[in-house]
Amino acid sequence: MIEVKHLVKRYGKHAAVNDLSFKVDNGKVVGFLGPNGAGKSTTMNMITGYIAPTEGQILVDGVDIADNPKVAKKNIGYLPEIPPLYPDLRVREYLNFVAEIKGVKGKKRAEMVNEIMTRVKITDVSERLIRHLSKGYKQRVGLAEAMMNYPSMVILDEPSVGLDPGQTIEMREIIKELAKDHTVLLSSHIMQEISAVCDEVIIINEGQILTIDTPQNIVEKMNTNSGLHIVIKGEKEDIKNALRTIPEIVDVKYDETCEENTIGMTLYTRNGIDIRETIFFKLSEAGLPIMELEREELTLEQAFIRLTGEGSRQFGGKKKKKASRKKDSSEEEAEDIVDEAVEETDNDEENENGGNK
Amino acid sequence: MFAIYKKELLQYFTSMIGFVFLAFFLVIMGIFYWTLNIGGGSGNFEYMLGSVDFLFVILIPILTMRVIAEENRQKTDQLLYTSPVSITKVVVGKYLAVFSLFTLAILVVSVYPLILHHYNSEVQLASAYSGVIGFWLMGGAYIAIGLFVSSLTESQLIAAIISFIVMIITYIMPTLTAAIPSDGKSQVFIVAAVWILICVASYSAMKNVFVSILLGIIGEAVIFVIYGSNSQVYDSLIIKVLNAVSISDRYDDFRLGILEVNSMIYYLSISFLFVFLTIQMIKRKRFN
Repeated sequence: MIEVKHLVKRYGKHAAVNDLSFKVDNGKVVGFLGPNGAGKSTTMNMITGYIAPTEGQILVDGVDIADNPKVAKKNIGYLPEIPPLYPDLRVREYLNFVAEIKGVKGKKRAEMVNEIMTRVKITDVSERLIRHLSKGYKQRVGLAEAMMNYPSMVILDEPSVGLDPGQTIEMREIIKELAKDHTVLLSSHIMQEISAVCDEVIIINEGQILTIDTPQNIVEKMNTNSGLHIVIKGEKEDIKNALRTIPEIVDVKYDETCEENTIGMTLYTRNGIDIRETIFFKLSEAGLPIMELEREELTLEQAFIRLTGEGSRQFGGKKKKKASRKKDSSEEEAEDIVDEAVEETDNDEENENGGNK
Repeated sequence: MFAIYKKELLQYFTSMIGFVFLAFFLVIMGIFYWTLNIGGGSGNFEYMLGSVDFLFVILIPILTMRVIAEENRQKTDQLLYTSPVSITKVVVGKYLAVFSLFTLAILVVSVYPLILHHYNSEVQLASAYSGVIGFWLMGGAYIAIGLFVSSLTESQLIAAIISFIVMIITYIMPTLTAAIPSDGKSQVFIVAAVWILICVASYSAMKNVFVSILLGIIGEAVIFVIYGSNSQVYDSLIIKVLNAVSISDRYDDFRLGILEVNSMIYYLSISFLFVFLTIQMIKRKRFN
């Protein structure tokens, strides 16, 4: 278990981490989510004892890392953002060295190195110089380093950064595998990655915690009121007429499409009501084929806006301004159809729409 | 500690630096040995060692430049300092690894007096080996300095250049000190100037004008009051201090074939001091 209490790290006057408190329970996979520069790496460096906090306390399995670093560090495996590899050593030489400094003795060492190499699937490169490995292999060698001597906790800083999609999926599998017998704290700035593997997500920004919740809850919060991207084949007028018959639509934004004869748009509904079925039937009635239909995926920034709520934090406030400006311009574009759509439905909805946005 | 030690040695021989060092060291040694001892017909091996001490200025920076700087650059220090090994053990392990490589070269060299002795039994082995011991310990001191410089930067090149400058200064120190006037009056002004520099440095570290100026005024006052009460205190003070940091100068006793305990302790203390400073330097970085 990792317990972090009122952690602060200041560089001069700037606070990289500002009063952070959280807990990582045994057996859990906890994700650390935030944009670059949010303080993820700094926090992880403090938990692993690489840098010292300005203020606050870190307990690893109840042991304060400041009082008894040797015991605390033994329970933690760490894969930093840049895997700490020696390019001039061979994979096996490197892992032997790691095992030795982590206190694995004698015969057990060779056994453990072999075992871990099998687990992260690097046995086939064990005699190669690390310098000659691909990025994906290097990352796995780094992971093997973090797993050495089987610490009870593994901390991974952006484990899938710079990997190609195939390698990213493989890395996720390895992390899931790892989570079976380890407590894992991993960081990322990609929401999808976190929600794929984590039991719990800690969202931080500017050194402070915004939310701690399960990924399901966060995704739910994020998905309400997200737009529905749709590409329809047909004449603009026909499409307008068809959509006017769906009262739930409160806002429309035109998107560019690359196919000829199609109209792309993003639809927003009242209270985020799911209108996918309605749209399907209405459009098929009108003989307008749907080429694409997709829920709009929120970027991390938009997620922050959703999560922070009305102007509660500086970051959220700043972004909100930007977002509303964007909306203004899209509203202008979409003015005609929105107005028409709203006119035909209810005036109350227009008010609600204004309130929502 | 042993793990770090082994890894360092392994890296010396996977990255060629170890071989290059040994080859270069032994070639230069061989040339001097040949021209002075064998060709020149001199039986004083310790004297020959005294003439090749310039090797340290060239070779030790190459040997020590990567030891810590490269860990900083490749972020492998994150592995070392987050593993359950203390920083002291890491640094001592590294120092011992470099020192062992150097010792290996010295072991080869220590065969040379035996060869001389084989052909001429008048060659004094005792003085020759006291020279070797002095040479060996002097190398240890230079290595500690190089290690410390390597911990200051992330760049091997900068580490090598700074080490080179530092070592060349200690090497030419006797020449430098000869140029400084030794009378009390000029000495006191030098001390006063050095104190001002220290205060400027303290300002850049603390960013507190008031404290720095106060320190400066008090310090200067103390310096001149002492000079007023007893002007002899300052006689050749600077020269004494500078000579104390001249590492190669200390070899003079060994060159004469004397196994001088003072100088041995001096070399050991320099090694110890700089290993200690390296540990402090790394520990300090954790708080920045």
